[in-house]
Amino acid sequence: MGSRSEARDRPRSTESEHRPATGGDRRADETDSGDKGDGDVALDVEGLSKTFGSGQDAVTAVDGVSFSVERGEVVGLLGPNGAGKTTTIKSALGLVVPDEGIVEICGVDVSTDPRTAYGHVEAMMEGARNQYWRLTVRENLEYFTAISGEDPATVRDRHDRLLEAFDLREVADTQVRTLSRGMKQKSSIASTLARDVDVAFLDEPTLGLDVESADELRRQIRAIATERDVGILLSSHDMDTVEAICDRVVIVDEGEVVVDDTVEALLGVFETQRYRLTVRGVEPAAVADLDVAVEAVTELDGRVRFDVTADSDAVYRLMRELDGRGARLEAVETDTPDLEGAFRSVTGDDRATTGGGGA
Amino acid sequence: MSPAESGGYPRLLGAVVRREVVLFLRYPFEALGTIVVLGVLFAGIFLGGTALAGQAMADSIEGIVVGFFLWILAIGAYGDVAGDVAADASWGTLERHYLTPFGFGPVLLAKAAAKLLTHFVYAGVLLAVALVLTGTTLELDLVTILPVAVFTVASAFGIGIAFGGLTVLYKNVTSWMELVNFVLAGLIAAPLVGNDLLLALPLAQGSALLQRAMRDGVRLWEFEPASLAILVGTGVGYLLVGYLVFTLCQRRARRLGVLGDY
Repeated sequence: MGSRSEARDRPRSTESEHRPATGGDRRADETDSGDKGDGDVALDVEGLSKTFGSGQDAVTAVDGVSFSVERGEVVGLLGPNGAGKTTTIKSALGLVVPDEGIVEICGVDVSTDPRTAYGHVEAMMEGARNQYWRLTVRENLEYFTAISGEDPATVRDRHDRLLEAFDLREVADTQVRTLSRGMKQKSSIASTLARDVDVAFLDEPTLGLDVESADELRRQIRAIATERDVGILLSSHDMDTVEAICDRVVIVDEGEVVVDDTVEALLGVFETQRYRLTVRGVEPAAVADLDVAVEAVTELDGRVRFDVTADSDAVYRLMRELDGRGARLEAVETDTPDLEGAFRSVTGDDRATTGGGGA
Repeated sequence: MSPAESGGYPRLLGAVVRREVVLFLRYPFEALGTIVVLGVLFAGIFLGGTALAGQAMADSIEGIVVGFFLWILAIGAYGDVAGDVAADASWGTLERHYLTPFGFGPVLLAKAAAKLLTHFVYAGVLLAVALVLTGTTLELDLVTILPVAVFTVASAFGIGIAFGGLTVLYKNVTSWMELVNFVLAGLIAAPLVGNDLLLALPLAQGSALLQRAMRDGVRLWEFEPASLAILVGTGVGYLLVGYLVFTLCQRRARRLGVLGDY
């Protein structure tokens, strides 16, 4: 029942209460990294800062960002448009020179030894454009493998696995330019994962995919991260993707990390759910002494609507009370907590989270 | 994996050359188009020149054919290198070439070398066309022509790499490149007699030596050591300066956060 639309209606004041509660820039080792095996860090970002321009025109895009990604872990990097996601990723890769901060990829400092570091990392920054459209899907996989120094012939099995995983086997020898938008996107991801990398950056991996393909793609990315023990940092506006495959979420806002936590913990921000009960046969005043916190009572043409945020015990109690007062239940709506709600809550952002663009 | 552990630079070069060859064969019309356009251009120069200048044209036809051959190589070395960077930036593939264990510079050098290779093919085909069209015969001693041509175009190559860097930084430098195109054509054609300083300019010395090799049949080992030293020095020098400009430009582009934007 319309959980999404109701999430958007959630009062700002209630949301903002959660912002500090999720704990600022908690480090991975303070979260649940204990169950990630050996805790082998693929990407470690410490105190990354970048300001563009100078004087009055200076814009601080990234301000002391720290986070890490372990091997086999999928981490979602989220933030409203202009929050600094893209600059964070580009700075972490050395594509943008940061003003401050240390980035290590598999223990190698990106600024002092970029070539060795780049032996461990690949990135899809430009979605479907991230490849040569006049080459075939397989040629792209082979080309980007070879320019990283690996022999494409000896890793053909890996490439076959990728083509299979992303449903590209039948179009392996087709030029990318002739493929659909979604297939191009998948080909681009496949070419990004074609190399033997320890960490991969994927910017908006499900952009342009239909629901079914996006579902499958999520499953495959998750599987590849686990099978190949690759740490994946994924930037997305698609909360379903993040919720489905990410172990952890890093939310940046105004250049700073405001949340670094597991998806479960983040959803746990809403330990209680919102319910909307619509009943007939009682006066609004009759509930004044109820033992349940009711946020809003609305009279609607002979019916009364109660908005409550409560756990299930309290909801049952409310229902019993209403039943005891002769109310007849007309409708019950629930607002299931989801990542989008959590995201809006911590960023205080009511802007749409769909659509491209970054900063 | 470091390049040392892997297939090394030959694999990198192999991959970029393979891509050029695949596209060359996949889009023959495009390659053919380039050859036809350049062929028509030459025919225009030759026929127009013959009609206007008659004997004078006939006397200098060998030089014009050699200059034409060198010009095709030079525009390949110069224009295609910068064009390749611009194309990668607009396609969204530039940043992927940055993220390789070989380093951005060596990857772009390899890509540029692959481009140049295709232009050697164009230049060879067009040289044959020009020779047939004009009924000229030239000394085609490859042992002499190839090294001289390689060091000659190395200077244009260096300028191309520098413009590749400027493209990364400023995005659209086409109008400046057109200006340099004219200058390069001028340097191929200009007689260098009487001014040693001109020898330090790109293409100039190589052009002069190539003329002597192809028209007069002078062999590589028959050139004065000083002439060869100038050829090698200008070739390597411009290449190094170009690479330095490229490195500075990409560093600045990364500081400004504009690498890969187009």
